[in-house]
Amino acid sequence: MAADEAPRSTVDPELVERVAAALGDDVVEAAENYADYVVRVKPEAWKRAAEVAETELECDFLSFVSGLDWKPTPREGDDKAPSAPVQPQEMTPGVTGGTGRFQVFGHVQSTRRGWGVTFKADVEEDHPAVESWIGIYPGADWHEREAWEMYGIEFSGHPGLRHLYLPTEFEGHPLRKDFPLLARAVKPWPGLVDVEDMPPEPEDGSAEDGESEGSGAEEGGES
Amino acid sequence: MSTTGPRAPLPEVEVDPAAMRHLAEAQMNLELDTGDMILNIGPQHPATHGTLRLVARLDGERVISADPVIGYMHRGYEKLTEFRSYPQVTTLINRIDWLSSFANEVPFVSAAEQLMDIEAPPRAQYIRTILTELSRIATFILFLGEMGLQVGALTPAFYGFRDREYVLNLIEGATGGRFHPNFNRIGGLKDDLPWGWVAETRTVMAKILESCDDFEDLVAGNEIFQTRAKGIGIIPPDVGSAYGVSGSNLRASGVDWDLRRDGPPYLVYPELDFKVWTHGDGDSFARYWVRLQETRESALMVLQMLDRIPEGPVMTKVPRIIKVPEGEIWVETENPLGQMGYYVVSKGALGPFRTKIRSASFSNVSILPWLLRGTYVPDLVTILASLYFILGDIDR
Amino acid sequence: MAKAGAAVGLVDSGKVPKPLSWLLNYSRKYSLWMFQWGLACCAIEMAAALAGPRYDMMRLGVIPFPASPRQADLIVISGTVTDKMVPSIKRLYEQMPDPKYVISMGSCANCGGPYWDSYSVTKGVDQVIPVDVYVPGCPPRPEALLEGIVMLQERIQSEDMSERWRGEHWRGEPIVVGS
Repeated sequence: MAADEAPRSTVDPELVERVAAALGDDVVEAAENYADYVVRVKPEAWKRAAEVAETELECDFLSFVSGLDWKPTPREGDDKAPSAPVQPQEMTPGVTGGTGRFQVFGHVQSTRRGWGVTFKADVEEDHPAVESWIGIYPGADWHEREAWEMYGIEFSGHPGLRHLYLPTEFEGHPLRKDFPLLARAVKPWPGLVDVEDMPPEPEDGSAEDGESEGSGAEEGGES
Repeated sequence: MSTTGPRAPLPEVEVDPAAMRHLAEAQMNLELDTGDMILNIGPQHPATHGTLRLVARLDGERVISADPVIGYMHRGYEKLTEFRSYPQVTTLINRIDWLSSFANEVPFVSAAEQLMDIEAPPRAQYIRTILTELSRIATFILFLGEMGLQVGALTPAFYGFRDREYVLNLIEGATGGRFHPNFNRIGGLKDDLPWGWVAETRTVMAKILESCDDFEDLVAGNEIFQTRAKGIGIIPPDVGSAYGVSGSNLRASGVDWDLRRDGPPYLVYPELDFKVWTHGDGDSFARYWVRLQETRESALMVLQMLDRIPEGPVMTKVPRIIKVPEGEIWVETENPLGQMGYYVVSKGALGPFRTKIRSASFSNVSILPWLLRGTYVPDLVTILASLYFILGDIDR
Repeated sequence: MAKAGAAVGLVDSGKVPKPLSWLLNYSRKYSLWMFQWGLACCAIEMAAALAGPRYDMMRLGVIPFPASPRQADLIVISGTVTDKMVPSIKRLYEQMPDPKYVISMGSCANCGGPYWDSYSVTKGVDQVIPVDVYVPGCPPRPEALLEGIVMLQERIQSEDMSERWRGEHWRGEPIVVGS
């Protein structure tokens, strides 16, 4: 298939030029990431990035708007029985860097030119807030409600940030890394290998070896 | 009402005949001056395809505003993926869009493979594409039958379920599961195709092409269906893309955009010869028509691919414990319901750090508040049926 | 369930003759009206079992016509039960008149299933309503659901109406299909 022979980045150079020309100083860092162009903008320029995308970059299609929390999940339990696959414990940002814990990111595409841009912006940890994209992409309404619900990021200019998925009485922002999954705290993760032995063969009289492939598709925590 | 004695005579009113028409209208408005009614449709309702709740404010039969309340199927996928290893996530994600389950696994597995810089062998790519197209056919055949059901015709639903059984038989023969096959592995597939599967698929595809002709006559050619669906729920193309409506819904509004042809190349689509169907109207009938043509197109694509499956292994060499190196990637594919994408953030651990799942139906349904203003209640059902969302895809 | 006052009728006084009881149960078990309630992926298998000409649950007498719980006597909870959905389930279950039966289909409805650790999923519908038959699987094949219904029908045939009316320990152990 083409992925092996094609270069790691397949971003159209014209897109790179247009972004640099239109946004200029507002771009903190930009990187070509496989087929996607990731652009980190200053938080004040979040809305302007969307305006530029719609007018200069011909991006008429809104894919999504969401948040990122770079803090590693606090560990529960000891190393022998972790409650989840262990992640590195230092907080490091991803592609195009980042300062702080929270980022908001969104992806827009052009149905005419066939390219897409992912915009990222840092938001403050204590009071995460950016401007809303709803005036430019009306579909951002629900995406921003979801990002608020899951991360607590406020979108100024949004007509009404209220719960989308969760019941109204739900407290907390679930996708934040410090929101614990209580079921996992109670029951440790069985790990990667089969925990159940294969049943012995009654006719043979000799039990089958219990080890199987291990990293096959096993449901997490099935008891 | 008193039955004793004659009624008092009504007062005489001198009315200009030319003004009679306006008077009659004014009288009607006065008589029927009612307040708005709030009608709660769902979350349990035969016509809402699952647990979608629409709080509709009605003026008589006309919808003034409709507010979808979702979240009755929210299972917390994005949080759950942070607590599972990569193969375990593969198990979980094929339940997002539960009709075309195989197609949900493909972008995630492809993302993990690209981050690991490995590639599934060509035979695995072909089989993946065939199974994706089969799941597309299964989803669309059900749609063709079910939209007839929503509009009021019972027969197409039975045809739809019967034809879907043939395709599910095939998927089960290859993967072991009717849906939720869990067949993709990072690096390829779990198993090779069984003996005789290719011949069986050819027979079934011939049957599917016949059924498409049946549906075209029975449903799309039916004048009642056409009256119910033409001109209903028109989505203009610019509004549709600003809301993120994708897939057949956007193509029915005239936007010629299909990720299999226009996006970054994935699976074996660059080697196939297929047509992307669009329709200019953007109404419910157009959406039905586009999906009907796409079902035929998928069956023809499967027939093309069956002649060309290369020999070889179905799985590359991957380490026993899968650790995906650090990085981020965005992979998007053309799923039956629309564009589905995964933004996978990996920190080099056994499981993903963050997975953002961009599901097609979420954006398709977000247009409902805009779309449902001013429609009648029966048309509301037609519009919901024609947009074709799956609750698991909306709520994740 | 009537508790106060004089015993009226056969069922109240506990003396239902066997042939009458047999006839009542026979007619009840072959005319189960199923409430249309499909939540998630298992609903598709349930629909395939009902509407699909291959599995065809209607030949067992299970007709899925009622859209209102007030006319139904069987409910099949098929799919994941979330905390947001639970008040609706409870309310709809309470609207069903007795005698009513509940089949919990799929592992999500049985115990939370693959989403057992989620923050928004109820770990099993039996935390909210009492369940008569558990049909395990993810999703269970339509044949498994048919088996569950047949086992439920066998149980209905052997039920004692008067015990049930008086509320005395009529509910046995829930049936688990495949055990």
